[in-house]
Amino acid sequence: MADSTVKKYYDGLAQGKLLGKKCNKCGGVTFPPTTACNECGSYEQDWTELSGRGRLLFLSHGIAPPPNPRFNDLAPYGYGHVKLEEGVYVQAIITGVDISPDALRKHFEAGPSPVIPDILDVEGLPVLAFKAG
Amino acid sequence: MAKSPCTHGQAPCFDQNYHLDRGDVEGSAGLTRRVRGVAQKENAVSKRWKEPAHILGVGCTRFGNLLETPELAGLGLQELAAMAAKEALADAGMGPQDVDAVFVGNVTMQTSQMPATYSQLANWLGTRFKAGVHFDAACSTTNVGATMAAMGVASGAYDRVLVVGLESTQSQPDGLSPYARTTIPTEEMWLWTDQCVNKAYSVPQGYDIFPTYNAFVAQGYCRKYGVSLEDLDRGLFELCRTRRLHGAMNPKAIRQQTLEDEAKAMGFDDPWAFWTSRYNPHVAWPSRLYSVVTPADGASAMVIGRGDEAVAGASAPVELKGFGVSVMDLPWYDDDPTVMPIDKESFSKAYTMAGIQPGDIDYLHTHDCSHIMSICSAEASGFLPEGQGLAYAREGRLRFDGDRPMSTHGGRHAFGHAWAASAGSDTYEAVKQIRGQAGPRQMPKAPKTAVIHTHGYAMISTVLVLQGGN
Ligand SMILES: [Zn+2]
Repeated sequence: MADSTVKKYYDGLAQGKLLGKKCNKCGGVTFPPTTACNECGSYEQDWTELSGRGRLLFLSHGIAPPPNPRFNDLAPYGYGHVKLEEGVYVQAIITGVDISPDALRKHFEAGPSPVIPDILDVEGLPVLAFKAG
Repeated sequence: MAKSPCTHGQAPCFDQNYHLDRGDVEGSAGLTRRVRGVAQKENAVSKRWKEPAHILGVGCTRFGNLLETPELAGLGLQELAAMAAKEALADAGMGPQDVDAVFVGNVTMQTSQMPATYSQLANWLGTRFKAGVHFDAACSTTNVGATMAAMGVASGAYDRVLVVGLESTQSQPDGLSPYARTTIPTEEMWLWTDQCVNKAYSVPQGYDIFPTYNAFVAQGYCRKYGVSLEDLDRGLFELCRTRRLHGAMNPKAIRQQTLEDEAKAMGFDDPWAFWTSRYNPHVAWPSRLYSVVTPADGASAMVIGRGDEAVAGASAPVELKGFGVSVMDLPWYDDDPTVMPIDKESFSKAYTMAGIQPGDIDYLHTHDCSHIMSICSAEASGFLPEGQGLAYAREGRLRFDGDRPMSTHGGRHAFGHAWAASAGSDTYEAVKQIRGQAGPRQMPKAPKTAVIHTHGYAMISTVLVLQGGN
């Protein structure tokens, strides 16, 4: 059986690891991992582990009930635009935040803040979320 | 600007845009520098039509709900498609057997339960024995169809092509019934629609269009341009008023009530009080419900041809001067959510092909599933100055009678959004405006050059440049 890139990513998450790919041609990091470099399109990549440290650039929330029933119990949840220290951008659930308009306004006015991964088990699937760190 | 080859990819590279985008090369900000780029000029030579292509006819149903809307209630998707096609063919002064091929688009297969539309619709459209294909570019579908049809015409392979888009976002077949339909809950509609979105990583990990395509963009706009959250809300309120005014003047719109009238009906003399009430909640703070899409059922159609033959009874052909298409997966932006690189690409490609500059545009539609995103796209197009779009909305300048008219059919919120059919409804409106056939919402001076931009999930930025005869 051939290795599934997607399964390897989720297996990594389950162990607390953020697995991506690093390009042999341009050095670009592709996260989450695919078969081609997100910078130059090269297929020549190796696996790499990301630190997980990042900055939360923008924070809002999703709708409830959510578009994906996997998240019925979590919605409405905080959702953010995150820049990881390797230079890649991820949009993900943000845990441990107040998502009332007043709290979101304060967060917006305070500006970007550091985050670290908070990997959730949602209906049996490891999900990459972030929390203040 | 350097002309020597670089090695950002494997092969020697002359693509200055790549480096301009990355800030490797100095240049003034904005679209024009990209259009002036050496690489763009070289590309432009090979990316002109070999033969001109024209939109000969357009058709569009009312957008509404197949279970409720008077003009649509009880119809099946076959009849909906035929309604749009019949209008487009009549507009072009021809019949269904005059076309060489039929391209039919549909996105949400769960609600149509009808793949292979090329044959399933043939006996409804009257196009038996013609060439056909079923295709999808999500909410850009019909306009991507127009580009493919125009390629067929410009190459000489076809004389005329019928493009049809049809969609139901509100209902699905009731069990195994061939005609009865049953309503679907909103979250189910989004679950199916989000099957257009990254299924390996984004959807399984909590992706939601409302923060991604609305809230982060709105926050980014405020942060970038120093717009206060209060001015953001005011600007989006005024933009909604404008779009609803257009919808109220359009018998095909799903919402035909002005925002002021709706506020009154709900007991608010002051529409701003209605805007900030619980009837208009934040779908994703700071974005409100009335700044986003109104899902609908509907169909649209167009006939694309060479445009060099006089047809009795036909409306004036409108030239499809150029187009640009650019695709990327999530995330659609980096630090700055107000700029999608695919928009810069698609506008630049389309302008170069059409030989126009932003200053030539008389009428613009940008995809407005999200009103704030539509302002960002309009600023990326060069039609509105950067950071000024909401101020223009507040001054009424985006109205049909303003100096920067946009989305005069009402856009996705007031006209409604029937995924695969919507881009065709945008083009329908532009063609009507160019010909002076837009009725009460006709621009005082009919536009010569119109630009239509759509975002198809997730995400295909598509730009058409249309020009009238004089
Ligand atoms: Zn690379």
